[in-house]
Amino acid sequence: MVVATLKRLTAGPRPVAVVLLLLLASLYLMSAATQNSAQFSRVYSLLLALNGTALLLLVALIVRNLVNLLGQYRRRAPGARLTLRLVVMFVMLAVAPVSVVYYFSVQFLQRGIDSWFDVRVERALEDALELGRTALDSRLSESLQFTRQLAIEFIGAPESVAALKLDEVRRQGNALEMTLLTGQGRVLASSSADPTDIVPSMPNLAVLLQLRQGMDYAALEPTAGGLQVRVVVPVTEGLSSEPKLLLAIYPINERLSSLGESVQAAFGQYKELAYLRQPLKFSFTLTLSLVLLLSILSAVWAAFFSARRLVAPIRDLAEGTRAVAAGDYDLRLPLPGRDEIGFLVRSFNEMTRKIALSHERANRSQRQVEAQRAYLETVLAHLSSGVLTVAADGSIRTSNRAAAQILGLGPSTFDGASLSDLAVAHVRLAALIDTLGRFLGREEGEWHAEVTLFGPAGRQILICHGSPLPDGGDMRGGQVIVFDDVTALIQAQRDAAWGEVARRLAHEIKNPLTPIQLSAERLRRKYLDRMSPEDAEVLNRATHTIVQQVEAMKEMVKAFSEYAHAPAVRLAPMDLNVLVTEVAELYRGDTRMHINLALAPRLHYVEADAMRMRQLLHNLLKNALEAAPAERTVEVKVSTTYSDTGCEHVELLVEDDGPGIPEALLGRLFEPYVTSKPRGTGLGLAIVKKIVEEHGGMLSAQNRPGGGAAVSVRLPIGSQDCAARLARQLQERRA
Amino acid sequence: MALLVALCLGSAGARAGEFVVRSAATGLVNQVHVLDADIDFKFSERALTALANGVPLTLRMHITIERERDWLPDQQVAELTQRYEIQYHALSGLHVLTNLNSGASEVYLTLHSALRALGDVRALPVIDDNLLEPGAHYLIAMQVDLDIEALPSPLRPFAYITPAWWLSSDWYTWSLRP
Repeated sequence: MVVATLKRLTAGPRPVAVVLLLLLASLYLMSAATQNSAQFSRVYSLLLALNGTALLLLVALIVRNLVNLLGQYRRRAPGARLTLRLVVMFVMLAVAPVSVVYYFSVQFLQRGIDSWFDVRVERALEDALELGRTALDSRLSESLQFTRQLAIEFIGAPESVAALKLDEVRRQGNALEMTLLTGQGRVLASSSADPTDIVPSMPNLAVLLQLRQGMDYAALEPTAGGLQVRVVVPVTEGLSSEPKLLLAIYPINERLSSLGESVQAAFGQYKELAYLRQPLKFSFTLTLSLVLLLSILSAVWAAFFSARRLVAPIRDLAEGTRAVAAGDYDLRLPLPGRDEIGFLVRSFNEMTRKIALSHERANRSQRQVEAQRAYLETVLAHLSSGVLTVAADGSIRTSNRAAAQILGLGPSTFDGASLSDLAVAHVRLAALIDTLGRFLGREEGEWHAEVTLFGPAGRQILICHGSPLPDGGDMRGGQVIVFDDVTALIQAQRDAAWGEVARRLAHEIKNPLTPIQLSAERLRRKYLDRMSPEDAEVLNRATHTIVQQVEAMKEMVKAFSEYAHAPAVRLAPMDLNVLVTEVAELYRGDTRMHINLALAPRLHYVEADAMRMRQLLHNLLKNALEAAPAERTVEVKVSTTYSDTGCEHVELLVEDDGPGIPEALLGRLFEPYVTSKPRGTGLGLAIVKKIVEEHGGMLSAQNRPGGGAAVSVRLPIGSQDCAARLARQLQERRA
Repeated sequence: MALLVALCLGSAGARAGEFVVRSAATGLVNQVHVLDADIDFKFSERALTALANGVPLTLRMHITIERERDWLPDQQVAELTQRYEIQYHALSGLHVLTNLNSGASEVYLTLHSALRALGDVRALPVIDDNLLEPGAHYLIAMQVDLDIEALPSPLRPFAYITPAWWLSSDWYTWSLRP
């Protein structure tokens, strides 16, 4: 806190301006001291040292600034070049005029000081001094002469008398003070005009020495009160006695004294000033030089400061532009002022604020989009329906987990894949891809399609719902496809429907059949013998027909019940070729049908229920036989083949040379009671279809080009993966 | 600057002054230690010229009394600075010697007699005996110099850089055991 306050107070131009003002004041004081102003003279050296130190500090400050600036210039820092240029310009502008002023000032100073001194003035002062001396010398001589005469009066006088006489003599001689001393300077008697002055004025050692040498002492002495005459003369009494001294102090006429002091003061000052002429010149020049240096250095510093102040906002702008370019939109530049640069900086700040706002909005929108996307992905991920979005070019953009699961693909199969890639990598998806391909590029209308796939899990029925993607972006012409695996559902619905039919048949049809049959037989037993032969013949034929048809209906109901209530499938690996061979062997003796086998060698085992497969083959052969006219032998070809297109499977193909399948029945050939044959229950192919579906296989029928029909049964190979999926699917279907 | 260099060079050839403390000793008078010292004051030509031109010269007499201690730095007990001003009085042709501490003035016919009187220090009270610890060792040091700061301000920059103005004696020391 304190450090921050100090830093704030010492930063900026204010403290330096204050220091410069103080320096200026200090220089003023120095200048005053140079003129021997008593007030500032005492601190002259201190001021000189202070100013010198301050200037050195200023120089150091400028050097530091210069080094920094040169460093920035070398680093090509923003604004350094402009700052340097401004500094050079400012310095040139400041130094040139100040230097000129300095030169002329020094010249004027030298001449000005020289003009203080004039030989005539000096001469006049010397003459005045000489005049004063002459005037005072006469007074001095008079005083000496008078004192000598007084001294005679003390010759031989005892000390007690001398003391009394001294006061009288002093009054007589109009002296300020008179003292009688021994030769050693001991006071014998003293008299003073000032009663308060009890300590007599004593001659100093030099005076005593002079007197011992027999010389009188007479001198004009300056005192605080003015000039006075001091005279000391020996009082000679004889060689035997101790010499005495008479000291007398006489006043000088007040007028003469003040004039003398005035002359002395003027002469002394002039003499001193003349002596100090060179030092004065030097001192003034020194002060002037310091002022010059202060001005120049201040100007240089001000140049640095001003240049920095001028360039700072420009540099800030440059750095701000870089920051914005780097994506930092929160930067706000300090406002330099209300000038044009300030307006520019304000505009920049406004611009970055708006960019930051837009950026924030964009970010918020992006976050919302991402949240929605995450939401959609979560929804998609937990949908049981498969969802795919496909662009117009066939590339898959979005998929969910269910899509891959339904299609039996890995979770990342759709990543970056396209429909064409999928078609190549997964041939079994061809039907789906073809369907999708038909609708790609359509921009209007929803569509629905049922697609049947034959994959590793066997036959799979997909219900697809498609819709064009909304316009915008690169998804124009794309489609969103939602598909469900309805294989199990359809199977369950059919099972349920046929179960219900079987239950109703058993209840509504089978139950009345027995009473009908019994009633017919009873009629026959009771009335056949009693009737005439003609009537008996009719009754016999009618009851026989009734019993026969009831039996037929019972068979039919039984078969249908078997269809509806098929036993549980028991899967086990089996060789289809063996089964086909065994069944064909049963028909070897049948003259109505000739079976040709075309079995693939080393056929893979399939997971299947042998009993149900046997029934399937019987039904197909029986269907071929019943479809053909009774008068000729039916040629039936049974072939087995292996294929690995999409998923490994075994195909059982039964072809006949019969009349073929009517076009009207092709679509629903495998539904119950759809038949064109005069014989049969109409459930043969329905049971075949049911068995195939129970094994996860696929059944198809078509007419052969040369006549006759061909029924194809494709069963998945019992690989571990296929078998596991098959079993799981079958269990689900049963459930 | 040229002027400054010329003045400095000029001073090199001038007669050098010298202050020497010949002897100094203290004696006990009425429980007061008084100083008797003999000092030679010899001014440089430059100083004499200045004096003759009416520039008053101030001389300082520094006296310090320190107690010597065995394991500790010496302790300063007292410090005394006597300041004297000598000035030529042109009208009377006398030299006025003023004790700036007391304000008392003496006039002398010649500079020589004035300096001799100044150098003949007799019975200058230094310190009361009661302020000294009996038996302790004291070291008294004495030095005289010309006070440059008392010169007229224009002369001071010169004086500071001109050896002729650097008039100072070495420290003269002696022991005192109360």
